[in-house]
Amino acid sequence: MTCACKAYRLPLVTPSGSLKYKIKPYLFIAPAVILAALFWWYPSAKGFVSSFLTMSNSGKVMGFAGLKNYIMLFSDRNFLKSIWTTLRFVLLFVPLNTVLTVLAASLTRRRSKLSFIPEYLFFSPVAISLSAYSLLFREMFRGEASVVNRIFGLDSGWITDPTGAMVTLVILGVFLDFGIDYILLMCAFRSLDKNIIEAARIDGAGGWSLLFGVELPMIGKTVMVTVFLALKDALLICAPIIILTEGGPFRSTETIMFYYYVEAFKSGNRAIQNSLSSLVLVIAAFAMIIYERRGRKRQ
Amino acid sequence: MSGKTVRKPVDTFKFILRKVLLVILAAMVVFPLVYMLSSSLFRPTDFNRLHLFPDTPNFANYAKALSHRYFGHYMVNSVGTALFAAVVRSVVVILAAFAFTHLRFKGKNFFLGALVLTLFVPQEAILYQNYRTVAALGLIDTWTGIVSTSLFSAAQMLLLMGAFSGIGKEPYDAARIDGATDLRYIANVLIPMTGPVVLTMGIQTMITTFNSYLWPLLVTNRPQSRTIQVGITMLGFVEASDIGAQMAALTIVTVPFLVVLALAKKRIETALIRS
Repeated sequence: MTCACKAYRLPLVTPSGSLKYKIKPYLFIAPAVILAALFWWYPSAKGFVSSFLTMSNSGKVMGFAGLKNYIMLFSDRNFLKSIWTTLRFVLLFVPLNTVLTVLAASLTRRRSKLSFIPEYLFFSPVAISLSAYSLLFREMFRGEASVVNRIFGLDSGWITDPTGAMVTLVILGVFLDFGIDYILLMCAFRSLDKNIIEAARIDGAGGWSLLFGVELPMIGKTVMVTVFLALKDALLICAPIIILTEGGPFRSTETIMFYYYVEAFKSGNRAIQNSLSSLVLVIAAFAMIIYERRGRKRQ
Repeated sequence: MSGKTVRKPVDTFKFILRKVLLVILAAMVVFPLVYMLSSSLFRPTDFNRLHLFPDTPNFANYAKALSHRYFGHYMVNSVGTALFAAVVRSVVVILAAFAFTHLRFKGKNFFLGALVLTLFVPQEAILYQNYRTVAALGLIDTWTGIVSTSLFSAAQMLLLMGAFSGIGKEPYDAARIDGATDLRYIANVLIPMTGPVVLTMGIQTMITTFNSYLWPLLVTNRPQSRTIQVGITMLGFVEASDIGAQMAALTIVTVPFLVVLALAKKRIETALIRS
């Protein structure tokens, strides 16, 4: 992404003078600008401005609210609970996802005659869509009589009890991101300079020391990319919850974005919808800036 | 790998350990997939027994899934919107990327900056506002409504700008001297020269649109208008305790992608592996 930014300023010659030539560039960018305005700038600005206004349910402006909407948001117990739930999900999901994908990629980092089989198996989750996986997990972890309990001899209630539901959601999250993270990491391993690895091997490094001392540090940038993607997915998780648990049982899997979805589309609470939407935008912008800065430093 | 050395006993142990770990991990990763495939052939009573594969395959599940009232609608809507989004987004992004790399105009950096700004705005955060816009435009239950928020992508635009800049200005100047219009230059020179990038982008758009769930869920009300990703969650088979038919429906949606993945795996790897 960053490499592309720099390359666009090519000094290319354009005949100028006639009106047609002056308008033409704008016609070329018009579709992109209109779409960006309609579905990115306008909704962001409107949400941000509305978050400081008092609005009726039909959308009429009733007056200036100051920070009242934000105070209302932060005094809602369910919102505070959803922050905690999201954090718990992030803390369980991100490390587990990183460890498992790095493990899978490092186990298959050397090419061999039969390596295409595990490669395909680890890559295959990409082919299964979010809603398919969520439905599948709802059946596999449906409760005491679920197939997972029968095979592993467990008696967990899974999606029918609060802890089990969170664990199921974390496992589902790993499956949703596994394929793409795996292929990025595996390809990063194989992109490494063979001479450096060979040199390290001659120096006596082998197996684990080669992996942890030489190869993993060298693909650190790709690992960071997958961690960042996992963080973003985890903080914004909503759709799998709609299908898997609907936030339950007892709001135990109600994350911030699921709470937003319920308040905006089920309860129609404008004060909470606007203030939460603006809050997420501001946090996302900060996160992106920090990420971009880090990316630039590394280059 | 070239450097094949003689293995010591410790190495053999480590080698076996690695393979065992690999097999366990692979088994875990494919388990849901295997269960989906095998249980799509289960009879209702098979779901309560401890076994992974049915004694006699029950193909009735597939017949049930395929003869579901709206299954055809769902599929047509999904394929249609995926193609629609890919074509329109490609055109939008190609035109913009061309203007930003080849043309000079006032406010260029402003517009470029403003478009790149969309990268900082996750669609999830403005879901409701966008829903209101689409509703106000009368696009609920339409293909245009379903694809509306995926018709532009700043990430793809930047990617293409990189590819276009890589070509340099000589072909463009030559084409201009020959009297070719910009659109002709884009169609006959630029796109053929950056073919793989444009194609990859289009396929990426198709897959993400085909697989999207939350937005299509929000902007469709009538069952005939839903996409398959939304539709498979509303088939009503689970409610009727007919899980086998549900699994058959999931299998039908998934298997084409597994085949595509097997065919495209090599290409994806070569694109990602820098030599």
